[in-house]
Amino acid sequence: MLWAYLYFHQITLDTHEKASLSVGNNSHYDTKKEVRHKRTGESTKGLHQPSKTQTPAVIVYCEKTNHIVQRNNAAKEQGIEIGYGLAQAAALCPQICIIPFSEDNERLTLVQLAHQLYPFVSDIVLDTHNTLAIRLDNLVHYYGGHKELWSTITHELKLSKVSYHFATAWSIEAARILALNGVDNYECDCDNIKHRLSQCSLSLTALDKKTKEALTRVGIRHVHQLLAMPVHELGRRFDNNTISYLTALRGETFPHVTLFRPAEHFEHFTLLPFDVENTQHLTPFMEKLLGYLAHYLRARNLQTSTLCFQIDFREHPSTHLEIKSALPQSTVDSWLSLLTLRIENEILPEPAVSITLRCDNVETIEGSNGDFFSNRFNEVAQKQLIGRLNAKLGEECTFQPKVSDTHQFETMSNVEISPSTPASTFTSDIVPTFLFDSPKPLTQSTKVCFGPVRLHSEWWHETSRKRDYFIAQTLYGVRMLIFKDEENQWWAQGLFS
Amino acid sequence: MNKSLSTLENHPHIWRAREQNQQEERFSLGFDQLDEALNGGVSTSGVVRIRTLTGIGELSLFKQVISKQRSHKMIVFVNPPGNIQAPWLATFGIDVKQVLIVKPSTEKESLWATEQCLKSTACHCVILWSNGVNTKEARRLQVAATHNDALCLLFTRPNRSSMHNSAALQTLPISLDLCLNYRQHALEVSVLKQRHGWPKDNIAIHNDWTANNRAIKWAVEHNKVKRHVLHSVS
Repeated sequence: MLWAYLYFHQITLDTHEKASLSVGNNSHYDTKKEVRHKRTGESTKGLHQPSKTQTPAVIVYCEKTNHIVQRNNAAKEQGIEIGYGLAQAAALCPQICIIPFSEDNERLTLVQLAHQLYPFVSDIVLDTHNTLAIRLDNLVHYYGGHKELWSTITHELKLSKVSYHFATAWSIEAARILALNGVDNYECDCDNIKHRLSQCSLSLTALDKKTKEALTRVGIRHVHQLLAMPVHELGRRFDNNTISYLTALRGETFPHVTLFRPAEHFEHFTLLPFDVENTQHLTPFMEKLLGYLAHYLRARNLQTSTLCFQIDFREHPSTHLEIKSALPQSTVDSWLSLLTLRIENEILPEPAVSITLRCDNVETIEGSNGDFFSNRFNEVAQKQLIGRLNAKLGEECTFQPKVSDTHQFETMSNVEISPSTPASTFTSDIVPTFLFDSPKPLTQSTKVCFGPVRLHSEWWHETSRKRDYFIAQTLYGVRMLIFKDEENQWWAQGLFS
Repeated sequence: MNKSLSTLENHPHIWRAREQNQQEERFSLGFDQLDEALNGGVSTSGVVRIRTLTGIGELSLFKQVISKQRSHKMIVFVNPPGNIQAPWLATFGIDVKQVLIVKPSTEKESLWATEQCLKSTACHCVILWSNGVNTKEARRLQVAATHNDALCLLFTRPNRSSMHNSAALQTLPISLDLCLNYRQHALEVSVLKQRHGWPKDNIAIHNDWTANNRAIKWAVEHNKVKRHVLHSVS
């Protein structure tokens, strides 16, 4: 057997940073922080100033032990170390952001992480609130090698932006010691694992405090000393739990473990990075949750007609927002439009601290509604087409029209090489379909249908032109854009198709 | 003989007038007379050739088809006879983001580009200006369009001298062949050839595709106020 053990040592901090990053642009989070920096900067002139104002110092503080358990790099630069008290940290860095540590929240995050990993790995064991183990030996076969398997797992972890320590060993217990020791190395050779394991301190083992003390008293401080002891010798002095742990550590027995099973219903919890006071600022977080839901539903070919958002507050009982749709849907866009309508007239009784999205009633997408191929369309086809046309005809031959900010016909519609995102356009009923490259003298007899429209362009420039535009029709019914310039000359400039 | 004839009769490509296919989806043009002549409108895929002068409202005739259908797909203009103006597209009801303009340097390249667009499945409608499409090329475009559920509007110059000389009119294996003329303040549409239907001549369409001075004229005509009033329109 080969197990990987992952130790997420700062999972609360990581989720906080991810959440604040994802909505960094449109939230008041950054501005608030800056203001706070400025204010403190004025009062503490000459004191130690933070070198980077962009990343505020964040710590995770455990109330139970009065210790700082996690801290980000900005806090580290300020000299805050893990294990400091709150007062010590506040003295070092007055404008620090403090997140309360909660085991339950970490466990929820870990479960979400396990849900994310589950499509790739089958046997996941959730160990404590911030550790999980993955069985690898039965998967290597499917991935075609250790390297491929591990890169798949690490890629998925990288996407969720969590930092972690990891190690591999023959049993969960052995891998745990190595991971806590911070080995961070993928090892499948037994001897190497044994070598690394023997160097680890006894304090990292999951033995209870009493047993550890007893062992230390007789001079056993490292794992290799413990492993060297014969089992029957230990058996006389220690209880059954210790013995079964030791055999598991050696890889002789494999204790029964409960494997992770994904939940039957969708439920996703987000701890907000700051207290959200109004619903507009809540929407980006909700959109994110809808994204997870859409992903979940798409993977299972499901859709839903009801959603339930739970908004939690510090004091006030939680608010439940139920959103119903007449038609079952699965995409983010369709739900988001309903959500924004629903949330518009909702007033939060007090700042929200976390939101949860729940979805219980799902139904499978029926194939009967419409021909599957009738509306098939993907952006890929469009991109491929533009790419192919550009490749053969040259980039200057393919373009998308773009509107410029003017009412002069000559410069109204400039061209831009694709692919581009044209700006918003305006409508006008005097703009012709086609414009000639340059105005031609009017030679035919015409009848005016519309006009005049006088454009006196850029009178502040020397190149200013005063023209009276008309729409005129020839004998053959061709409608043209014509104009009379200042010298009473008539010109044709475009066609209306 | 009889047997071979019956096998021929069973061939799926042989169409009989009595088998009016009512179920076939069509895009309405929004002009009752014309829709009636075309059995409900232009078919949703295939090539439509329009012989016309540029600037007599030939694109506006297809406004309903171009701007109202399959709006999530692209509209491609190949070899247009001028610089297409974005505000006009917006007035026409087309999302400018969905428009692609292709200006190839040769006739052959424009046909190639049209075929690629039709085959890509990303296009709702490809509008091509070309005067030299022969039978083989038209067939290729027709197949590409019908297989990928796209529409191709082919605008060609009218063949003035031999307008009603059927021998000189090169027929193409396409869904619909139209000819537009402007006569007596109305656009006359002639259906030269259509699949699953009969030709029909001179359907008059009154379509005002540009702005007009009617409102001002009306105001002037209905101006009952006497001359001596300060603000009068004359």
